[in-house]
Amino acid sequence: MLEETLTDQEAYFLERVDRGDRIEADDWMPEDYRQQLVRLIAMHAVSEIMGALPEKEWVPRAPTLYRKLAITAKVQDEVGHGQLLIRVAEDLMRPWGKNREDIMDDLFTGRLKYHNVFHMATPTWADAGVIGWLVDGAAVITQGMSLSCSYAPYARALQRIVEEEGFHIQHGESICMALAEGTPMQRAMLQDALNRWWPALLMFFGPPEKNQLSTHQLRNIRYRIRSKTNEELRQRFFSKYVHRIWSLGLTIPDPTLYQDPVTKEWTYAQPDWEEFRQIVNNRGPRSEARLGLRSTTYQEGEWVRRTIALSPTAG
Amino acid sequence: MDERLDFDVYEVFAQSDSLSPHVHVFNVLASSPDMAMALAEENFFRRAEFVSLWVVRRDQIHQIGFHDREGFQKTPKAYRTTDDYKYLRDKWRYYRDHPMNPDGSPAAGGTVDGTMDD
Ligand SMILES: [Fe+2]
Ligand SMILES: [Fe+2]
Repeated sequence: MLEETLTDQEAYFLERVDRGDRIEADDWMPEDYRQQLVRLIAMHAVSEIMGALPEKEWVPRAPTLYRKLAITAKVQDEVGHGQLLIRVAEDLMRPWGKNREDIMDDLFTGRLKYHNVFHMATPTWADAGVIGWLVDGAAVITQGMSLSCSYAPYARALQRIVEEEGFHIQHGESICMALAEGTPMQRAMLQDALNRWWPALLMFFGPPEKNQLSTHQLRNIRYRIRSKTNEELRQRFFSKYVHRIWSLGLTIPDPTLYQDPVTKEWTYAQPDWEEFRQIVNNRGPRSEARLGLRSTTYQEGEWVRRTIALSPTAG
Repeated sequence: MDERLDFDVYEVFAQSDSLSPHVHVFNVLASSPDMAMALAEENFFRRAEFVSLWVVRRDQIHQIGFHDREGFQKTPKAYRTTDDYKYLRDKWRYYRDHPMNPDGSPAAGGTVDGTMDD
């Protein structure tokens, strides 16, 4: 939307956004605002749903009954987050005559991407711990920013989500702490998991902008859908977690990682951004297996959805 | 014989700001949704402000049965909360001041460079 050629409606909308008003689903909104929101929220929704799968693999293998209950609760929360967000996305897609079936189709055909981290393998219990501690930790940094999003239904969903993420992070910290204080083998397992996850954690925030914001980002910032750049969020992640990781005697697999004592800016080795593009285009280590599982389950549930929809008490 | 007036009970929900959920306020007896809305404003919002107001005809509300409610309360849920993880705070503080060595042994002294950002 070019600001010189605004209609009155568009100008009024931007004025509302500028003064910090929150937009509701039934309010008038520019079409590209709606598109940016659907793009972001549908991606977030399927990331929650696909995000339940890496840890789900550890539900049957959790080391104690308590850990099994806790990780089951977390996996259940993630699916619940997906449910909230799909509702938010669906309300926005209604004028297009689209709904959740289109979201799932887009996921299965690869039109809709999900976060890079959920394409990765979780070979050990330490991976489950690192996901809770650092992947959910990274996610909360992004979601914390989005709490100030101009779209009210998304902000309200995020309030609920972020509250539960607090539990996820401490659940992950608790697993990692136990391993860090454990036997040499347990410590080695934790270190291995950290080595595996570090590049994926850096990729999670997206490529650094280097003073060059993409069209999508510029729009999202103009519309107050987001307020920080990828790099600002990644820097925040370093500040929050690097010292904690070090305090457990763990080694971050990047000898160049360094915080400038004056500017507080972190320098770090860039992960392989070409690999990132491969991963998010469903060519990651576990992309095919997890999408396959998700789509099989979806197909197998088809008759249930159909039966419920046709039952006399429906609608 | 008096003709009985056909009024309905409407439950009233209001939202105080756009980040909050709609909260149940009270109910009114009204002949239409519009009238219920007007009565709700007059009865409950002479002073307080709202950003959104809903009225829902009571017979359109489905509620959970009494026995389900009882069962719901009895489910233990400690494993879903952070209650059992309170010890972490002290541990993080301890390891900040006494960071572990790479082999997991306690460090001789000194702290991890910099301060932790909670
Ligand atoms: Fe989540
Ligand atoms: Fe989470």
